[in-house]
This record gives sequence, C-alpha cells and structure tokens, in this order.
Amino acid sequence: MSQFSTQTGRGYFVPLEELNRPLLMCLVLLGLIGVLVLYSVSGGDMSPWAWRHGVRLIAGFGLMYVIASAELRTIYNYAYIFFIAVLFLLIGVELFGTKTMGAQRWLDLYFFRVQPSEFMRLALILALARYFHSVHHADVSQPIMLIVPAALVGMPALLILNQPDLGTSIMLAAAGLSVFWLAGVSWRYFLGGGIALIAAIPIVWQNLLEYQKKRVLVFLDPERDPLGAGYHIIQSKIGIGSGGLFGKGLAQGTQSQLNFLPERHTDFIFSNFAEEMGFVGSIALLILFAAILVLIFRIAVEMRHPFCRYSVAAIGFSFSIYVIVNLAMVMGLAPVVGVPLPFISYGGTSLLTFMAGMGVILAMHRQNIADLPH
Amino acid sequence: MSLFDSDDKAFSRRHLILVAAQGGLFAILVGRLQYLQVSQSETFSTLAEANRVNINELSSERGRIRDRFGEILADNDQRFQVVLVPEQAGDLNATLAGLQDILGLSDRHIRDLKRRIQRAPKFKPIVAVDDLTWNDFSRFNLNIPFLRGVEAKVADKRIYPQKQASAHAIGYVGTKTRGDLQRIGNIVGDTVGRSGVEREYQELLSGEPGVRHVEVNAFGRTIRELRSRPGQPGDELHMAICADMQKYVTGRMEGHSGSVIVMDVENGELITLVSTPGFDPNEFSRGIDERRWETLLSHEKKPLMNKAIRGQYAPGSTFKMLVALAALEDELIEADEEIMCTGKYELGGELFHCWLHEGHGAMNMTQALERSCDTYFYELALRVGIDRISEMARRFGFGSITGVDLSGEKSGILPNRDWKRANYDVGWRPGETVITGIGQGYLLSTPMQLVVMTAALANGGRLVTPRLLRQNGAVESRPTNTDAEALKVIQLGLYNAVNRPGGTAYASSLLIDGQRMSGKTGTVQVRRISQDERKAGVIPNSELDWHLRDHSLFVGYVPHDKPRFAISVVVEHGGGGAQVAAPIARDTMVHLLKSQRFGTKAAPDDGKSGDPVAHEQVS
Repeated sequence: MSQFSTQTGRGYFVPLEELNRPLLMCLVLLGLIGVLVLYSVSGGDMSPWAWRHGVRLIAGFGLMYVIASAELRTIYNYAYIFFIAVLFLLIGVELFGTKTMGAQRWLDLYFFRVQPSEFMRLALILALARYFHSVHHADVSQPIMLIVPAALVGMPALLILNQPDLGTSIMLAAAGLSVFWLAGVSWRYFLGGGIALIAAIPIVWQNLLEYQKKRVLVFLDPERDPLGAGYHIIQSKIGIGSGGLFGKGLAQGTQSQLNFLPERHTDFIFSNFAEEMGFVGSIALLILFAAILVLIFRIAVEMRHPFCRYSVAAIGFSFSIYVIVNLAMVMGLAPVVGVPLPFISYGGTSLLTFMAGMGVILAMHRQNIADLPH
Repeated sequence: MSLFDSDDKAFSRRHLILVAAQGGLFAILVGRLQYLQVSQSETFSTLAEANRVNINELSSERGRIRDRFGEILADNDQRFQVVLVPEQAGDLNATLAGLQDILGLSDRHIRDLKRRIQRAPKFKPIVAVDDLTWNDFSRFNLNIPFLRGVEAKVADKRIYPQKQASAHAIGYVGTKTRGDLQRIGNIVGDTVGRSGVEREYQELLSGEPGVRHVEVNAFGRTIRELRSRPGQPGDELHMAICADMQKYVTGRMEGHSGSVIVMDVENGELITLVSTPGFDPNEFSRGIDERRWETLLSHEKKPLMNKAIRGQYAPGSTFKMLVALAALEDELIEADEEIMCTGKYELGGELFHCWLHEGHGAMNMTQALERSCDTYFYELALRVGIDRISEMARRFGFGSITGVDLSGEKSGILPNRDWKRANYDVGWRPGETVITGIGQGYLLSTPMQLVVMTAALANGGRLVTPRLLRQNGAVESRPTNTDAEALKVIQLGLYNAVNRPGGTAYASSLLIDGQRMSGKTGTVQVRRISQDERKAGVIPNSELDWHLRDHSLFVGYVPHDKPRFAISVVVEHGGGGAQVAAPIARDTMVHLLKSQRFGTKAAPDDGKSGDPVAHEQVS
C-alpha cells in the first residue's frame, strides 16, 4: 500500500531516472542500429522500411514506458487475464485469420494487423511465473502440480504449430520450459522429455509439412538444392563471409543490394549487416546483445519475488534464444525456421512484444521491494 | 520469508546453468563469425563476386577482305537481334506473347521458337528474332523493361558486294555450330568461315575477343558495366585476286560450267579464280533456307563446288608438253626429228586415231605441239614409257595437291604401273601408255594443277605454290629440274600453237603492246567413240547431250617473251578446246593486259627483251 501512495502524487508515469539507465540506453542503441540497417538494406533509403521501423520503435518505447510505470501488483494480477486474452486471439487467428505465404498467422484488427503468436511469448512467461510463484519449492516437481503449467504451454504451442509456424511454436515452448527450469522442476523431467523428444522425431517427421521437411533436409545439406531451398542459406553465408574483417560499407553489400539475399529486411537482416559492417561490426553487435542479456540476468538475481525472478530471467532467456537461433540460422548453423532478430528485423508485433517484455523487466526492477501475495 | 530463502540457492544454480548455456552458444556464434568472415572471407568474397559479375565475351569485328587493289570483297554490317535466355524469362509464355505483340511476329515464328527453346538447354541464350529492321529494333529496346529474359543484341552481318563473282575464292561465313566448335575449338564471335578464304583464314579474320564485366542482380538483369576490354578486331586480308577480273571472267563464263584461273607465274598469286556457275554468298551469311540449299546442291552444274580445286578432268592435249619434256630429257628424240602422222596409229592390232582424220604428215616437236598432233605423242609416249611420263608429270605437280590456301583441294590421279596394279590388280597395257601420251586414260588433274604446270613451263621450271593472299617476301617454289633448252622448245611450240596460222589456237591469238599469248588447247573426250560411229562419222558435240560433250581446255601464259601470268581454262562439256576454252582465255588475258594495272606494259627497253625464239618465228 505504501508503494501505491508514492505514485499518486506524480500521476501514472514514473520519472525516467527510476528506470534502469544502462538497459534503457542499450535498447535505444539497438533500436537505432535496426533503423540504420534497414536504411542500408533499401540501398540507403528511409523508405520503405527504415522510417516505419523508427515509428514502431517510438511506439514500442511508449508501450515500454507505460508497462515500466505499471505497478508490480497490477502486472501480477493481470498475468492470467492477459494470457487468456491472447489465447482467445490465437483461437481467433485460427478462425478468422489472414493467410500470408501459406500460413495463417495474422489477425486483422481493422486498424492494424497483429500476430498474436508473438504476444503469447510474454503472456505465457508471466502466467507461468505467476503459477510457479504460488507453488512451494518442495512441491514443484510433483506431477499433479505440473498439469496446469503443461496445459498453459501446450495449448498455445499447439495452436501456433497448427498455423503452421514451427519456429515460433518451438521458441514459445522453449520460453515456457525455461520457467519450469528456473522454478526448480526436477531435471529428471527435462531428461525424460529430451529422451521422449528424440524418440518422437520419426513421428514428428511424419507430420511435418513438405516445406518444413525440406528446410531441415536443406539445412543438413544446403548444396542439395542450391537454387531452391538451399539458396537462402548459401547466399546468406556468402553475404556474411564476403564482408570480411571490415565489411563493404553501408549500403554497399552486393549480396543484399542485388537481391541475391532473400528476406534481407526480416529474418536474414544480419547477413546484410555482417556483409556491410564486417567482422568488427558483427562482434560489436554481439557484444551489445550480450550486454543487454548480462544486465537482465543481473536484475533477475536481484529479484526478491519468485514471480519477478522467473519473469525477468525467462524474458531474458527468450530474448537470447531469438538472437542465438536467428544468428545460427543465417550463418548456416541451424535450419531456416523463420525467427526474427530482436529489435533489428523489420516486423511490428515481434518488436512490440520484445519491448513490452523489456517494460516488464524495468517495472520489476523498479519495484523490487513491493509486496506480492504468496 | 522462508519462501525467498529456501529456493534462493536453487534458483541461482539453475539460473547460472541457463546463463552458461547461452554464453556457450554465443561463443559458438563468435567462432562461426570468425570462420565465415576471417578464415573463409576470401572464398566467400570470390563467391559474392561470381554472383555479382557476369563476364560476357564481346565479339570483335571480323576483318574485311580486299582485293589486290583495295576494293572490298567482304564487309561487315550490323544485324539486329533479340536474344532470349529461357531460364531467365520466368513466365516464358508471357515473354513470348510480349515479343509477338511488340514485333508483330507470326504464330508460326512463335511455334518454331518454342520448339527451339525446348531443344536447347534453358540457360543458353538463343536468337529469338534475327535481322530486325531499325524500327522494330528500337521498339523492342523501348519495351525491354517489360519483358523478362530478353536482351537486345547487335551482331555482325557479313556482306559480299561482289555477290557470286568471287563466291568460291572468298567463301562465306555461317552462324557457328557445335560442329564448328569441335572442329576448330573456341571461336571468336558468332560466325565462322565456312568456305574459301573466310574459312582458311578464320583465325586472322576473327581477331581477339573483348571481355565485358557487368554487374547483375539475382534475376540476371544487368545493373551496370564494371569494366570492359574491347576486342582486337580481326586482320584485314589483302587478296591477290582482282575484283575487276573476277567480275569480267564471271560474265565471260556466263552459261558455262567450269573454271578460269589466272596466276602470277613468279610468286603464285592468284589474280583470278572463278568457278561457274557460282552462288551468292550473301544468301549463306544471312542463313540460307533449306529449299534454296537443296536446289543448289542438286543442280546439274554443281554451283557449290569449287571446280578450280575440286574439279578433276583428264588434261588432254595440255599434257603433251610433259610427254615431250620426258622424251627430250631421256634423249629418246631430238626436237627436230620428224614423225609421220597418217591419222592412224596401230599398236598390237589396236588402232589409235589422230584428231585430224587425214593426218598431219611429218611433224617435229614444235609442229606437233602447234598442231596438237596426236600420232606424234602416241609414238613419243611409247618410247618414253608410262613410268617416266608419270615421273615427269609428278615433277610438274600432277598427282598431289598444289597446296593452294583453300581447303578441300583434290589431287587428281597420276597413273603408273604400280598404281595400276594396286588399284586394278592387273598389269599396265601398252595401249594405255599410248593414250596417256595425249593426256587421256586414267589421268586426272584439277584446273589448279594445270595452271601451276603451265606457270612452271613459263617461268623456267619452278613449281610455285598458288596463293589467294597477297605475297610479300619469300615465295614458295620447288624446282622441276628440267633442262632450259628443252623448255625453250616447249615454249616455242606453245607460242606457235597460238600465234602461227595453222596453230590450234590461232583464232585466239592476241597482240597488245607487243605482248602475245602462248598456250595449248585441250579437248577431252568423256565418252567412248565406237568403231561403227567412226565409220559413220563422229557425232558433233552440238548434237550430243550436254553431259556427253567433250571438255574444253586451254592453258597458256602472257606475255610470250617474259611470262608473267599463266592461265588455265576448263569448260565442262564445252566442246573443242580451240572453240570454247581458248577464246575465253584470250578474252581474259586481253582484259588483264588492257587494264594496265598489273604493270605488264613495261616497255621492253633493256635490249634483252623480246624473246629471240618468238620473234624469229613470228616473222
């Protein structure tokens, strides 16, 4: 209650000084790099992507500030409601969604189109964090206690898989399972699950769509289809590799400027960045990502409430696996699964989700001393 | 509070494991970056460059061909084409429909084009429309942005202003085919010489190809030119032949099937090389249609065949000089020894006739050449024997190609005893020696061999190699090792044959600025005349079918006293040598001497000029 009163005098928004300054600055820097890369991808032009990305960033930072200013109690209270709302959106996509590129991922809300599967990542983390927050540490590994969280992960993951969007589905499941792990669910479950997963591979393989099978096969051997599915990976590697130590310079990347690189403004944007900025620029970008993660992890360990610990650590983890999987994908280390590079790739919902997540982290960091029910 | 403390440690441990895993993955990413951008950077740079840069070969201009006085025999013009790369077209039907719309192509054209596209590999550019007008080409260029997979191309078109006059000497070019590539390896440009000088000097004419590096995008569309090195244009060829002579002779040979060759006796330069009937090489460089090709191929008079080097004829009486030379060399006769001609010659019960039914009476060697007495040479041939005749003929180039700079030359046939046994498995009969004495029987020679032989008789016994290109410097020749005095006797005989009343070619004598022609006629029977026909009277040529008529031959040279140019004329089934070939030779030489461009008029003022032999005889 004491915390509530401190805010009444100043209106809803908290002063910026109360937010984690280093994290905020890193995020602004990352966003600006995103604008710069999109500017470069279109051959040194703000249109069609860079200026819209900028606008979305501003909107995103607004959202982040709104969330960062929210009371911890409010976030805690709305965790389930938010989850249920996004789940309905996902079902809505299933029923009324718009199809692009063969997958039904978009929901047309008249004023803008959203991809609820992206929002689900944050909703799921918060819902699971709240669930495990209330479960005593000693009981966490009891099977009966895992039924509800398993359903929380399973329902949206299956809905998204059905769109079909294997990449987002896996990323969602990974983010959810990270909360299980952090909450102390016995490693035996993870081991058992891993073994079950390996055993299930043949069955999963049977149920994969043709294009998904192809992606996996091509990942294992891109040269088997150099002009078809393997084209993405080969051209992306050529782009990164030909950048060399110092790169070809802004808007000078021949691979992307001459259209050899597909999806160069979305999933494969790092390839363009690495081609033009070289090894030095790529490492600098990796350091920036790492810095953000380190800041988030430091916040996570400072958290008093399990709800906050789990949330912050899982949001950080989710952020990092997006970075890792995307980079591994464009460098030819992982199959092409359609995962964007946070803050850099062009795309609205994904960006908004990451920024909302950062808002949650900032809010929790700001209110570490606030009370929460057990 | 216990809630916070009890799992604090557990959370920290789990959290640490998670962070460590992410750290590990980041380390892998850094390693991968290092591999791609540092270790393998060069490889990928090369690949990016290969992606980006297309290297196109620029064809260089084919060298022009000029005659000995600079007149153009083969020239270049532009030819506008639409080139299509099927795999870059995306929707091929859309592109074809666009092309048809813009250029107004017929449905048949499109159908043919589709068939050609199906047959060729998809990445290979094919000429979709050829030889566009400038208007159509401009319209096409304007519309290129709306058509995928097509390009404008300006190719070379070869033009032969002389048309058929020099067809066999110059030859023609055609679009290169896989066969050409296998035959001569890499070919610069789109066309390749198919015959004549165009083929013989393909390498000189084609020059060095240029290279153009262009930046292309992922769809193969050219973005900009990066750098280019222009090609080295082909060499201009200066031919020995004279366009004016070619034109004149072609006109003079109108209606005849055969060949006329005029050659410089000293250096072998071919002033004239005409084979008739000819063809228009422009039809070939444009791409001849099949029906026209068939017509040319099946024509009775074989217009596509270069008769100058591929026509093989019995030399007839033009061979008699070599029989005489062989006899003189072996001292089997004296030049002034006389042999009696009664019109008939009998050997072992077989009867051989002189062309003059009533006989020539007593003949010495110069007289026998002058009148072309057959009986004299029957007797001479028997004295010398086939092997020695054959040996002399070989020294004068019979039986082997002359080595002229044209491909496809025939070597004729030079028989002797061994040849007969090898080819017929029976021995040589003396009767065969008799008819070889007048250039008949198994003997076959090309007009080119005849002109080379004649040049050797005129130039003091050197066998030159005929050349279509202007010769500077060393001249290839081979000595025939013949006695100078013996040659004089022959030359006198040839002089008299043309210039003395009673000589077989007297009707074709000429006199320009004190220059006269020497020469020898030849009439070659192509059918056997039976005893019955002989009794009833030999059927005149005019009453026989064309292909049964005699070949008409003439060889000679001008000027008589200081020989400069040798000539051989062969008219297939033309009739008597004196009636057809000799007048053509005379008119040709008159045209040559009158043109005064060959420096033949040089006043004989060095005191030694004016052949003593010739002058004596004329007076």
